[in-house]
Amino acid sequence: MRLVIARCSVDYSGRLTAHLPEAIRLIMIKADGTLAIHSDGNASKPLNWMVAPNLIETHADRWVVTNSKGESLTIWIDEVLEDVTHELGDDPGLQKDGVEAHLQELLAARPWVLEEGLTLVRREYPTDIGPVDLLCADQENRAVAVEVKRRGEIDGVEQLARYLERLDNDPRLAPVRGIFAAQSIAPQALVLAEARGIEAIEVDYEGLREVEDTELRLFDIRH
Amino acid sequence: MRIRAQRDDLADVLTRANRAVGTRTALPVLQGLLCEVSGTTLRVTGTDLDVTVRTQLEVEVMDEGRAVIPGKYLSEAVRKMPPGQVTIGVTDTDIEIEGNGPRFTLRPLTVDDFPTLEDVVADGVEVDGEDLADAINQVTIAASGDGARPILTGVLFETSDDGLRMVATDSYRLAKRDLPGVGLEGSGLVPARGLRELPRTIGAPKVSAQLREREAVFTSDRGSLRLRLIDGNFPKYQSLLPESYPNQVILDREELLEALGRVTLVAEDHIPVKLKLIEGGVEVAVSRQDVGAETEHLAGDYSGADDEVSIAFNPRYLQDGVSALSGDKVRIQVIDSYKPSVIDDGTDGDFLYLLMPVRV
Repeated sequence: MRLVIARCSVDYSGRLTAHLPEAIRLIMIKADGTLAIHSDGNASKPLNWMVAPNLIETHADRWVVTNSKGESLTIWIDEVLEDVTHELGDDPGLQKDGVEAHLQELLAARPWVLEEGLTLVRREYPTDIGPVDLLCADQENRAVAVEVKRRGEIDGVEQLARYLERLDNDPRLAPVRGIFAAQSIAPQALVLAEARGIEAIEVDYEGLREVEDTELRLFDIRH
Repeated sequence: MRIRAQRDDLADVLTRANRAVGTRTALPVLQGLLCEVSGTTLRVTGTDLDVTVRTQLEVEVMDEGRAVIPGKYLSEAVRKMPPGQVTIGVTDTDIEIEGNGPRFTLRPLTVDDFPTLEDVVADGVEVDGEDLADAINQVTIAASGDGARPILTGVLFETSDDGLRMVATDSYRLAKRDLPGVGLEGSGLVPARGLRELPRTIGAPKVSAQLREREAVFTSDRGSLRLRLIDGNFPKYQSLLPESYPNQVILDREELLEALGRVTLVAEDHIPVKLKLIEGGVEVAVSRQDVGAETEHLAGDYSGADDEVSIAFNPRYLQDGVSALSGDKVRIQVIDSYKPSVIDDGTDGDFLYLLMPVRV
């Protein structure tokens, strides 16, 4: 990976023509030949870019990038401020962050964010068709089953409805209320939840994570 | 099997054994109580495989035998009978419960499906039953209810310098209780959920305790309680206990509990109570944006390296720790706002409660 910070202007020609007037910019050249030009703004999107495979010719005053589609990018270099190259090696790839499992863990630790006075009875409470994410007790000590999803869809509501049906067969728990909790809930799932007498609640995952970050523990429970 | 006994005596042994009957068992037979009649004794066993309670009663025996009867219905049916003698009998197809008029007929469960449990050999260490019950009540408050971390749902039993030590932690607080003179051998992680049942099921002036390879066994003249040990390594708690504290305040325990009762009127679990330790006692404050606030001063004896120290706690956790103490006084020892504090009765006695503050 080569990173160059330079005062430059840029001309592109291909599907259209475009010109970037002279300014200080970051030029990123990846090992695979992809080139991108960034400014300090524009979020993550480059001002201009050429996806590999490319041919890059470097001259004292300009770099010329061309590809087989007939596109070309000419970067007129006025002054190089930084020029660094690093070998990044193989990338392990994007790992799924386990939001749903983490959301369940966060809600298990503080079920009152779903309903005032709600306390946890057990996580992964078993039923004969599988475990419900959280079994809680409300302020009147009535059983409340909570199903946690990252995104609340109809099938999640149906799943909770089936758990409630099984839990209601246990005379020591019945009647069991249901709460369907998700980061976001689809409108159809909201309608179905209401029809099934299930409360649907959207939870602020990022907010819960912030709370977790400020909590102090005696020891790290992740190990 | 056919027996007769006084309603209250029968209801007692059935209800106590039924406390082990699982509400979430996948095996239908475990919703039943195994009733075994031999000689002049009725022996009742309830189990969810993790917790097993066995009780017994001398009864009038017409026929020996054994049956598994749905626990909830059996204990409730006997309890709801009129006072006096109650008869429980097994026919070819049913269980009949009758006495002074009413008569229940219940469907039995398959007796051969009930797990085989070896008899308890009572060769454990004798413990004062009241001390053990107190210790259980004190330490189990700090055990976690989160089944996803089983180790934290247990109470560590281990040998201390002068007896038995019991420790529990949910990572936010830790409770440690010593029982001097109790020479229980070995160590094990005993489920707090089952331990809480001990006073209610077999509580007695003298209790025998034993740690076996896979279970903890408690027996008394009221029956036996067997708890399957939790596998895993308990956190190394000794390193969590600070050696010294630069600041401490001693307060009247009842006054602090009353103050915390007022605090919890405003604060839910997630709203911290702030304590400012100063000359002459403690300033207690809680505020909640959508409700309001409460503040008060509690007189006490503060001594410390700092003129004042501010610290905040989860009010319920603080209340739990102070409630678990038995003396008139409570001592709160503080290092700073971010390190664990120790709450005890000020005598360096047998009970200690370590509580992590809340960042505010």
